[in-house]
Amino acid sequence: MTLAIQTLNLRKAFNGRVAVEDLSLEVRAGEVFGFLGPNGAGKTTTVKMLLGLTYPTSGQATLLGKPLGSLETRRQLGFLPELFRFHDWMTGKEFLRFHGQLCGMPASALQRRIPEVLELVGLLGRENERIKGYSKGMQQRIGLAQALLNHPRVVFLDEPTSALDPIGRREVREIIRHLKAEGTTIFLNSHLLSEVELTCDRVAFVDKGRVVRSGALKELLRERLEVELRVGALNPELLSELGRHARVLHHGPDTVLLETESEDVLPILAQTVVNSGAGLFSLSPRKISLEDLFVKLVSKESS
Amino acid sequence: MRNLLLIAQFTWQEALGRRLLWAIILLTLVFLFFYFLGLNFLLDSFERRAAQLGRELSPEQMVVPSAVLVLMGMYIVNFLGSLTGVFTTIASISGEVDSGTLQSILPKPIRRWEFVLGKWLGHLSLALPYLLLLSLALVYGSYILTGYLPPNPPAAMALMLLSVLFLLTLTLLGSSLFSTLTTGVVMFMIYGLGWIGGILASVGAFTNTPTLKRLGEISSYLVPSDQLWRGASVFLQPEIMLGAQDSARGNPFVGSEPLATGYLLWVAAYTMLVLVAAVWVFRRRDF
Repeated sequence: MTLAIQTLNLRKAFNGRVAVEDLSLEVRAGEVFGFLGPNGAGKTTTVKMLLGLTYPTSGQATLLGKPLGSLETRRQLGFLPELFRFHDWMTGKEFLRFHGQLCGMPASALQRRIPEVLELVGLLGRENERIKGYSKGMQQRIGLAQALLNHPRVVFLDEPTSALDPIGRREVREIIRHLKAEGTTIFLNSHLLSEVELTCDRVAFVDKGRVVRSGALKELLRERLEVELRVGALNPELLSELGRHARVLHHGPDTVLLETESEDVLPILAQTVVNSGAGLFSLSPRKISLEDLFVKLVSKESS
Repeated sequence: MRNLLLIAQFTWQEALGRRLLWAIILLTLVFLFFYFLGLNFLLDSFERRAAQLGRELSPEQMVVPSAVLVLMGMYIVNFLGSLTGVFTTIASISGEVDSGTLQSILPKPIRRWEFVLGKWLGHLSLALPYLLLLSLALVYGSYILTGYLPPNPPAAMALMLLSVLFLLTLTLLGSSLFSTLTTGVVMFMIYGLGWIGGILASVGAFTNTPTLKRLGEISSYLVPSDQLWRGASVFLQPEIMLGAQDSARGNPFVGSEPLATGYLLWVAAYTMLVLVAAVWVFRRRDF
C-alpha cells in the first residue's frame, strides 16, 4: 500500500492561536478521502499546509513520498480552493493556459488538454468569454478544470460543489469517479455529508485540529446501529434487561430506541423481549448515516 | 527563470486585460497635448509682446523661458512617472492575496522568489519605458517647438528612471507585507516624506540652518526620490540658470549640484536591499 499523503503530529498556530493542534493522517494512493469536520476545525489550514501555502509550526508531512513544498510533487498536484476567486479579467481559455504554463505544460500539450478539461466540466463553448461574466457555478467549474489540467496524481478539492446546483453536484460526483478510475488520489473537504457518503472510500473526522476518528467509510457506518423496538408493555425490568445488551438512547411507554455495535445483538434483543412476555410488535434496525456519526463525534468532542 | 518571465508576461496581460495600459496612454496623450499647446501659446505671446515693443527675440533670449518650461514639464513627467510606478505596483501582490487568486497560483510548481521577481520585472518593464517615452516626447517635442535642448537629457532621464525604480521596488515590498489600502497609504506618506525632506533641505540651505539641512540629508538617504529628481534637474538646466540658482540657493523644486557617485551607489544598493526584503517577506508568509 503506497501512501499519497502522510502527516505526523502536524501543528499550526497563528500568533498563538492554534488552528491545527496535532494532526496525524494517512491517505492511500488512489483512494477518495473525505476530510470532515465542523467549521473552524482546521480543515482548510491542513490543506493549505499540504499545498505549501502555509508553513506548519511543527510536525512532519510527506506528499507523494516527498517533503512538503517539493517542486516535483507540486507538478503533480491539483487544487480547487474553497473561496474560488480567479483572475476574472481573463477568458476561461486564457485562464487555463496561464495555469497550464505555471504547471510547466508545453503549448502543444495545452492545445490538446484545454478542450478536454472544458468538456469534462461542461464549459466547452464558453471558453472565450471572460470569467467576470461567468455565474458562480461556472466559476467553480472553471476552477475544477484548472485543478485537473495537468493530469494530477493528487487532487485537493475544498468544498468543490458549494456553488453548484443538484445537477452540477451529480456531474462533479461523476468526475470524481472518473478520476478515481484513472488512479487519481482525491482529498475532499466537504460539509455535504450525503455526497461524501456517495463518493468517499475512507474518511477522517477532524475537530479542533485533531483527527477524532478515521477509517473506511463502510466500516465506520457499520460500527454502530440503531434499533427501535415497539413492545406491548415496557416495564423497568425489561428496560434494564435490554440495557445489558445495548445502550438505551430513548424510551417511551411502549417504544425504546437502542444503540448497538453489531447486528449480532438483534436476535438477542428480540429473544429478551419475547422471554419477558411483553410481546414484540416491531423491531426496526436502521444504519446510522454519516450525518449521525458526524454529529455524534463532534458533539462528544465539544462537550 | 521560465516562471519568472511567465509572471512578468502575466503582469502585462493584466495591464492590457484591465485596460490599465490604454487608460494611461490616453491620459498621457491628453497631458502632452495640453503641455505643448500651452508651450506654443506662451512662446507666441512672448514674441507678440516683443513685437509690440518693436523688438525681436533672439534665440539666446529664448533660452531661459524655454528651459524653465521644459524643466516644469519634466517635473510633472517625473511626478507622473513616480505615481504610475507606485500605483500600478500597489496591488501587485496584496491584490492577489486579498482577492484569493494567489491560492491557485502558489501551489503550482513555482518558487515564491520567482513570483516576486516576476512581478517586479513585469511592473518595471511597464513603468520605466513609460517614463522614458514620456520624457523623450516632452524634451524632443519641446525642442521642435522652441529649438531648445537641455544640456544632458540622457543623464537626467537615467536618474529619473532610478527614482521610479526605487519607488516601485519599495511599493512591491509594501505590497508583499500589507493589504492594498495600507500599501497605498504608506507609499503616499513615504513619498511625501521624501518631498518634505527636500523642502527642509532647501529651507535649511537658504536660511543656513544646519539642523534642517541635516534632516533633509537623512531623508534623502531614506527616501531618495526627491533628491534624485534634484540631481536630474541639474542636467536639464543651462549654465546660466544653474549659476543663478547657485547664488540664490534654496529652490525647493530643483537642484543645482550634481549628485555624488557615492550617493548613487547607495541608492542602487538600497533598491536591491528593498527587493531582497520583498522576496524574504513573501517567502516567509502564510497565505
